[in-house]
Amino acid sequence: MVAVMIDGARSRDCSPSRHRYLGRGACHRLITRLAALLVAAVAVSAAPASAQKVRVDGLTDVNFGTIVNLTADSRQSQSICVYSQTANGGYNVRTFGSGPGGAFTLASGGDLLAYEVQWNAAPGQTSGTMLSANTTLAGLTSAASHQVCNNGPPTTASLIVVLRAANLAGATAGAYSGTLTLVIGAE
Amino acid sequence: MDRGRAMIRVGIRTLLITSGFAVAMSQTAHASTQGTLGATSTGSVTINATIASRVQISGLSDVTFNAVDPSVAASSAQNVCVWSNTSTRGYRITAAGSGSGSAFTLASGTLPVVPYSVEWAGSSGQASGSALSSGTALTGLTSTATNPTCASGATSSASLIVKMASADLQNMQAGPTYTGTLTLLVAPE
Repeated sequence: MVAVMIDGARSRDCSPSRHRYLGRGACHRLITRLAALLVAAVAVSAAPASAQKVRVDGLTDVNFGTIVNLTADSRQSQSICVYSQTANGGYNVRTFGSGPGGAFTLASGGDLLAYEVQWNAAPGQTSGTMLSANTTLAGLTSAASHQVCNNGPPTTASLIVVLRAANLAGATAGAYSGTLTLVIGAE
Repeated sequence: MDRGRAMIRVGIRTLLITSGFAVAMSQTAHASTQGTLGATSTGSVTINATIASRVQISGLSDVTFNAVDPSVAASSAQNVCVWSNTSTRGYRITAAGSGSGSAFTLASGTLPVVPYSVEWAGSSGQASGSALSSGTALTGLTSTATNPTCASGATSSASLIVKMASADLQNMQAGPTYTGTLTLLVAPE
């Protein structure tokens, strides 16, 4: 039964003694509409907020060591855990570096060394879709069943960082460092 | 020997040798950070890379003195590419010949060897430069090359000059070919 407030008094039904201002038909229609609204409100509030949450885990620092061959690209890849609670495990990724304006550059004093970032929605990959700084790569899905991949697949995506030979050959010798930040969003 | 019309063929072969040493400077940087569970999740990684000091010499050509007039000193100059990736683009060069004790000499069978001299200039298009002594490095040189093989930017960055004195040419026997190898070792500074 749906309680309906009419004229400040609670009425449990549309009996003639209680619907003297609305009329019986209008009373039933009002009750029906209020019931529909109540069901809709319950339906919305029944979906838990955690269904739209994501998490990235398993990231490790990228160390190229000392690069002696400047005529070939240097590449480092790692498998990581991306978890999404959406119905299809969907997510997007946006990355930015520590260079000017979020550029993908490493620094050695005043010298900069550009690098590339690639993403693959499968683990164990050494190449993927090239990312642009501050640009979102959407339409990705994860098979992770745990927010830190403690059960189910241990990893769900690949992060690849590439130093191109042309950039290596054009750079001044020295030690370079930078930070790459990843932001995962739910889809 | 008809010194006015002696034909002396001299061949000098130059070898390309690159040298470099790693500059290992460890740089501590903060560790990776993991994301937390939320509407978005942010993580980060630190990227470290060290580029070793490297040099390259290229663009060398064999030196041939053909049918030279022994009454006139012979000289051959060539533009070469030397590239260095150090902060100063600096390098040093050491030359060694194929003669006894790495001497700068040419030989032809059992005939007496003939000396030649080597000069180096830190810029291209030069006809003379600093004299090199076998096994002794000429230091403090810098390069204008921006590409390891001068494929872009400066097309050459140094000059190699090989000379033969008239007196030495006159001591050579006409006809036989005298040959030798000049080895150039470049190292970053």
